[in-house]
Amino acid sequence: MSSEPRFQGSGVQLQKELLTDWYRRLAAAPEEGRKVAYLFISGNVGELLQACGMDLVFPEVNALQCGIKKVAGENILEAEDLGYSGDVCGYVKNDIGMMLKGNRMPHGTALPPPDLLVCNYAGCATYLRWFEALAEFWGAEMVVVDVPYLRGTAGPTEQEVDYVERQLHELVAACERVTGQRFDESAYRAAIARTKESEDLWVEVLHSARNRPSPIDAYFEAVFFMAPMYVMRGTEGCLEYYRALHREVMERVRLGHGPVPEEKVRIVMEGPPAWPHFRRFWEMFQDWGAVAVASTYSKVGGVWDLGERHDPADPFRSMARYMLGCYTNRNWAMRSELIEHYLDEYAADALVIHSVKSCRSFSVGQADLRERFIREHEVPTLFVESDLADPRYFAEAQMKNRIDAFFEALEHRRMTAGV
Amino acid sequence: MYAAGIDVGSTQTKAVVLDEGGRIVGRGIRMTGADVVRSSEEVLAQACASAEIPVEAVEYVIGTGYGRFRVTAGDDQVTEIGCHARGAVHLFPHTRTILDIGGQDTKAIRVNEKGEVLDFCMNDKCAAGTGRFLAAAAEVMGLGVEEIGPVSLESTERLKITNVCTVFVESEILNQLSRGRRREDILAGVHRSIAGRSASLLRRVGMEPELTFTGGVARNPGMVAAVEERLGLAVNVSEDSQYMGALGAAIFAVERARAGASRQEASR
Amino acid sequence: MSTVLGVDVGSRMTKAVVLDVEAAPGREILGCGKVYTHFDLADAARRAAAAALEDAGRGAGEVAYLSATGYGRYQVADRDLQITEMTCHARGAVELMPGVVSVIDVGAQNARAIRLAPSGRVLQFRMNDKCASGAGRFVERVAKALEIDLEEVSGLALRAEQPCEISSICAVLAESEVINHVTNGASIPDILQGTHVSISDRLASLVRQVGAEEPFALTGGVSRNEALVRALEERLEMRVQRHPLAEYAGALGAALLGRQRLHARAHAVPT
Repeated sequence: MSSEPRFQGSGVQLQKELLTDWYRRLAAAPEEGRKVAYLFISGNVGELLQACGMDLVFPEVNALQCGIKKVAGENILEAEDLGYSGDVCGYVKNDIGMMLKGNRMPHGTALPPPDLLVCNYAGCATYLRWFEALAEFWGAEMVVVDVPYLRGTAGPTEQEVDYVERQLHELVAACERVTGQRFDESAYRAAIARTKESEDLWVEVLHSARNRPSPIDAYFEAVFFMAPMYVMRGTEGCLEYYRALHREVMERVRLGHGPVPEEKVRIVMEGPPAWPHFRRFWEMFQDWGAVAVASTYSKVGGVWDLGERHDPADPFRSMARYMLGCYTNRNWAMRSELIEHYLDEYAADALVIHSVKSCRSFSVGQADLRERFIREHEVPTLFVESDLADPRYFAEAQMKNRIDAFFEALEHRRMTAGV
Repeated sequence: MYAAGIDVGSTQTKAVVLDEGGRIVGRGIRMTGADVVRSSEEVLAQACASAEIPVEAVEYVIGTGYGRFRVTAGDDQVTEIGCHARGAVHLFPHTRTILDIGGQDTKAIRVNEKGEVLDFCMNDKCAAGTGRFLAAAAEVMGLGVEEIGPVSLESTERLKITNVCTVFVESEILNQLSRGRRREDILAGVHRSIAGRSASLLRRVGMEPELTFTGGVARNPGMVAAVEERLGLAVNVSEDSQYMGALGAAIFAVERARAGASRQEASR
Repeated sequence: MSTVLGVDVGSRMTKAVVLDVEAAPGREILGCGKVYTHFDLADAARRAAAAALEDAGRGAGEVAYLSATGYGRYQVADRDLQITEMTCHARGAVELMPGVVSVIDVGAQNARAIRLAPSGRVLQFRMNDKCASGAGRFVERVAKALEIDLEEVSGLALRAEQPCEISSICAVLAESEVINHVTNGASIPDILQGTHVSISDRLASLVRQVGAEEPFALTGGVSRNEALVRALEERLEMRVQRHPLAEYAGALGAALLGRQRLHARAHAVPT
């Protein structure tokens, strides 16, 4: 077999094209008579809404793009001018600020206003308020899918799945009312079939990190790999992307290529990235040859690597099950279990927790996770804090100091243990 | 053979020179100021002068502290977390936990018997209760930083200071004074409050005795007393506490120099 | 001829203004004085008053009315009146810069944006968040860390080519960013102007929260900092009015309000 890389970079290129098309179509939606739904990533019901003929906007994705493109800071100030406090979620303030400034993405696309707001994730009270604010601003209808937060560690009960499934049928009725169009069940089934296939490929990509060296960074790269799965799941383009990505990653495995020249430390990451300083944040890890072999953040849109799949034979019930099982809908004990599983499955050396200053619902319990992994599992664990959207919380010198101290100690202990 | 450590902190820059046996033979200290490169060169020159050796006699230099990458003489860099740990265990071999109250960071570090860092915790998102607050409190009171500790020990009434935000230091202290509180009591309250914050960091790393208190603030007897009272145990404090980072860096430098020498030996 | 004294006891500086009781508008300010507050508030008030009286060439015996404002207003001995700094700054600003409808007062610790009625009455105000405090202090600390005299800050900052990004809201943590820029070899003008831009962002946010409009004035000690004013003007897209005595706006407001009381008392019908 050839040792020359043939597929490297093809995924990035394809994703770029797909997203460009996606936003072009979105911008044209009002003109072309398509209704637009705004929804959340966690447990998103994209296939269902698209089968109702709607186009999709994910305000969280807009926020993270504004973060990366370094315009979130401006947007946040805009929202603070309106009176939103410094402590309110950076994503929310970015979105409100962006909306006030004309609802334009950093790359220039003016987003269409919502015809329907689908609050498909109820685990965060601030998110509910967010969509209520949007509903008031745009005068759009809002539907809340009440997804019960998981208790215990056994996963959702059948009653909980019933409860969510019933609401999905109600959601369909609401969509039909807004679009004046019939829900296309066969289109929905076909989309779910593509979703399942994409999920299979995506999981194999994630599992590839079991290799040494890992062919991918399952955090800093995976947050880009996961984009089509979150934004355009169930589409032809999405499936095509995961076929390309799969080819690319399997080629890396074959060639023994990894994201850093030499993999020295394998880490599991918990928490979202510092989007406004993404590059710099990643470099701080690369400097130490640290590679994320698994991350929880890449599962906020779905924890398929544990075996859960959308099922074309039962598209509503499997959707309900998926919505209940998202990472953000899991309680502390389940999160802790998942991290433990990752540390073991991917033979990781350490755990790094990046906590988000402006997010309480996701950050709660992270200090306890740190203590648990250090004390009970004796896993070296680093806790750092900044923000997912607000650039003001990223103190570069302090961040670097903590990261350097952590890896330096790890390296030193390894050296002396080897002697 | 000599080796040195240079610790470029946010307030002061310090240097320590060690001889081959790891004995401290020279020290240097000055304000960091705006010219980090010059400060690091000057403290090294100072330390060499006090050791009565030429700067060229120093074979290996390690930089530490926030300005570690600007130490031009530095052959390598180690974070001050690693260096404080190393220095503390060198001076007090039974050290298992270290508390360092710095200008903007307070650090709790857990180490093993070799002085290797097992875990550390630092104040995040808020600089309240760090060394800067003490300096600012001293200024408001019209006292020197070295005076506030002894004054606080004269306290007769226990009062509680809750806000140790450095920006609000004036209004917090003025408020207490305007209520007729004595400065001895206010300062004791300030020290206790900072000790309380330090104790919670120490709890987070799982404090084990012995505890060594490092950094410039460790020279403040009021702070030592407040920490000891809060934790109910005696802490180790070295005369050289403010040089601890530089000392740790110098120890690493000695080891690297030795390792380099033995490699050269072997290759011959 | 009797005088009215206004004293503004701030957390950092204590300011005093002496007014002539009877003089025509525009000529009533006889003298000003300012001293470091330190820890004895009553003493600070006395020292500032003495400095202002000396500047005015008037004796303490001529003071007919004393009004106090600022953080330490309750500690001012022999005061006839105490008024909040919000009211005093508004009144003082309108006196110095007639016609202003919005004011931002920036002190060592706190900043407050005020929207005014044409009469100088406060319509709406907003103080900074606790963690975003310390604009005046921030500049001082940065100057100290860079070993620069506070008076030189503005001149140097105006020479900035590319202001450094300083993102932290906390003035103390931002200091470590400043040190980081220093260690990364950034130029002093760029660091200083970066500090000003960062402060302007926070101030602009407060200003917009009260819906401020032009004419807009800046009061407090930092109003003398030209580079900061420019950064703020750029951020707000508004012209920022200043006055050489803007630092005394609080004390002046207190004195004016005191004089008003004095007149009211004199003209009151005895019962």
